[in-house]
Amino acid sequence: MRAILKIAFHNLLQARLRTTILTLVLAGVTALLVVMGALSQGFTDTLRTNATALSSGHVNVAGWYKSKATDAWPLINDVGEIERIAKENTPGLDYVVRRDRSWAKLISRDHSFFVSPSGIDITAERRLKSILKLAPESAYKDGGQDAPVGSFDRLVEPHTAILFASQAKRLGVGVGDYVTLTSPTGSGRTNSIDVTVVAVARDMGMMSNWNMFVPSADIHELYQTADDTSSAVMIYLDDPTEAEAVMGHLREVFAARGYTVMDHQPQAFFFKFETVAGEDWTGQKLDLTIWSDEVSYIDFMSTALDSVTAILIVILMGIIAIGIMNAMLMSVRRRTAEIGTARAIGMTRSGVLAMFVTEALLLGLFASLLGAALGALLANGIDAAQIQPPPMVSALLMSDTLHLSVDGGQIVRAVVVFTLVTGLAAVSPAIRAARLEPVTAIHHTS
Amino acid sequence: MEAIVALNKVVKDYPLGKLTVQALRGVDLTIAPGEFTVIAGPSGSGKTTLLNMIGCVDVPTTGSVTIAGRETGKLKDRARAKLRLEKLGFIFQTFNLIPVLSAAQNVEFPLLLHGRLGTRERQRRVAELLEAVGLAEQARQRPNELSGGQRQRVAIARALVTEPAIVLADEPTANLDSVTGLAIIDLMKEMNARRNTTFIFSTHDEHVMAHARRMVHIADGKLAEDRALAPPAATAEAPEPGATP
Ligand SMILES: Nc1ncnc2c1ncn2[C@@H]1O[C@H](COP(=O)(O)OP(=O)(O)OP(=O)(O)O)[C@@H](O)[C@H]1O
Ligand SMILES: [Mg+2]
Repeated sequence: MRAILKIAFHNLLQARLRTTILTLVLAGVTALLVVMGALSQGFTDTLRTNATALSSGHVNVAGWYKSKATDAWPLINDVGEIERIAKENTPGLDYVVRRDRSWAKLISRDHSFFVSPSGIDITAERRLKSILKLAPESAYKDGGQDAPVGSFDRLVEPHTAILFASQAKRLGVGVGDYVTLTSPTGSGRTNSIDVTVVAVARDMGMMSNWNMFVPSADIHELYQTADDTSSAVMIYLDDPTEAEAVMGHLREVFAARGYTVMDHQPQAFFFKFETVAGEDWTGQKLDLTIWSDEVSYIDFMSTALDSVTAILIVILMGIIAIGIMNAMLMSVRRRTAEIGTARAIGMTRSGVLAMFVTEALLLGLFASLLGAALGALLANGIDAAQIQPPPMVSALLMSDTLHLSVDGGQIVRAVVVFTLVTGLAAVSPAIRAARLEPVTAIHHTS
Repeated sequence: MEAIVALNKVVKDYPLGKLTVQALRGVDLTIAPGEFTVIAGPSGSGKTTLLNMIGCVDVPTTGSVTIAGRETGKLKDRARAKLRLEKLGFIFQTFNLIPVLSAAQNVEFPLLLHGRLGTRERQRRVAELLEAVGLAEQARQRPNELSGGQRQRVAIARALVTEPAIVLADEPTANLDSVTGLAIIDLMKEMNARRNTTFIFSTHDEHVMAHARRMVHIADGKLAEDRALAPPAATAEAPEPGATP
């Protein structure tokens, strides 16, 4: 093995031009993979951060109420008791908040559209407050000042609202203006309330199209529901990766206490209206979800990013593999006499095979390590540069700047895969070398 | 003494298009350990083919070749490689050093394939042999930085480093000037005398033949003549039978 390593290593040094070109190309593709992976990971991170602030806890205990078979209300009645049970039975609990979820029409003098207003207690919403940023007035108002106006904290006042900049712009309203929310109530009438815009937040991708915030009491007033009702108890954990386990545990806890718990459906709650309305039962059921369920409609983005990456990498790897195969074939031809000599001296066929594959593996390992290091640097650089992509892209990425997050495991995978592919590409030329008969090979003149 | 090389009715056919070329037409030959044998004959007579048979890089079409008690035609490829590694050393007409390795690394190469000796012992042997062939100074040079004679001396050191029973050399001096060629032969003879290594080499060169102790003439694929020669005055005495290397 020592002999093989030595020869492989020296041959790489010897064929300097070939080694340099292959190294650069391989390193480039590895770097690309690492950057794309970091983009995908960055997106997932952003998605989790945003989702768990805007519309979901790490774990949600939500529920549905049906007064008749065709109903579907995102309501739980005895929310105080449910919140208490959840708090007592969640290991690694950070904090919980209540959310009132609804679906209503948002109306200004000029314009109207449907939104999903959340009724919240702004003082309890630590994450939401840390992630929402006031938009400069000019972002939604022609001739507005470049400084932000308003305050999120004013949401403690009744009949107030926080909008996102793009909503405010479409409605033609600013801080201090009125907007109207209308919604059908449980009794079949349409209710409406007027709320004052107290703050306008910076957009956060497509989620800012339909999210808005009002005080809990406003939702209760709009739907004529009792104080002890809400839509969801959102649970925040010290370690978000425990979400799935905690959900499983809480399902058992609630079931054991006589609550009817719906089968787990990995969907956002607003996709469940129709399903629930079509089910033949009345009364109340609990619905437990985790954060990724509530943003599953955006999974296509990670899938798309990962697919594009995969396709790109497969194509590039294919090209590289062909390049390596050719380089190795040339090398086998050039080194035929050398192979014959090594065989005459006593190297076995498998030794010859190993000699060529080792050369490729060394090259692959070195190049992909280099590429991974470059890729990680590049990804961190792009992340730090806070580049603003076009609005379409930022809507999809849920963030107004490009966020990249380099993952150690992903780097290791990239290095392993690229090294293996390089090694595999050398197998067929190496087999050709190993098949050479020592007699004919020694007397070969190149 | 038991023969280290024994060829029995060795025939080697090479297919050449629709014809077959008979390179060897029934060769019987035995060589005892420690012999210093020249194989002579005109071009195309079968010298290289014969050495290939003895060197286990090829097997006879019919007949048998027995090297150190093992019949090569019956061995698997891997076992033949092992036999070559352990019992044989090769010196080629075109030197055939591994171009990317230094002189010392080339000499070390068979030892690495062996994989038995530790680094220290390997380095000791390599240094000793490079010293013996007069290349201690050139240890770190690559083959392309050496002269023809120096390259062939590296090849001799490489052939001897595993202390093989037999060293085969196919026209080792053909690519060297006559002075260098004779120096190479002297070196081989010295090694033969010191270690009782069996040397078998082919040559066209009359001056070189004069140094052999036994001359095997081959013509048209058959043994034409096989005779012992008197030792020339200038060279060392033949080793005592059973002398240790
Ligand atoms: N691989 C081969 N295929 C076909 N014929 C071969 C092959 N190798 C050798 N021969 C033929 O076998 C015969 C003996 O060749 P060999 O190389 O053994 O001769 P040689 O005595 O070594 O000649 P030279 O002194 O020129 O090296 C020649 O006629 C040659 O053409
Ligand atoms: Mg020949």
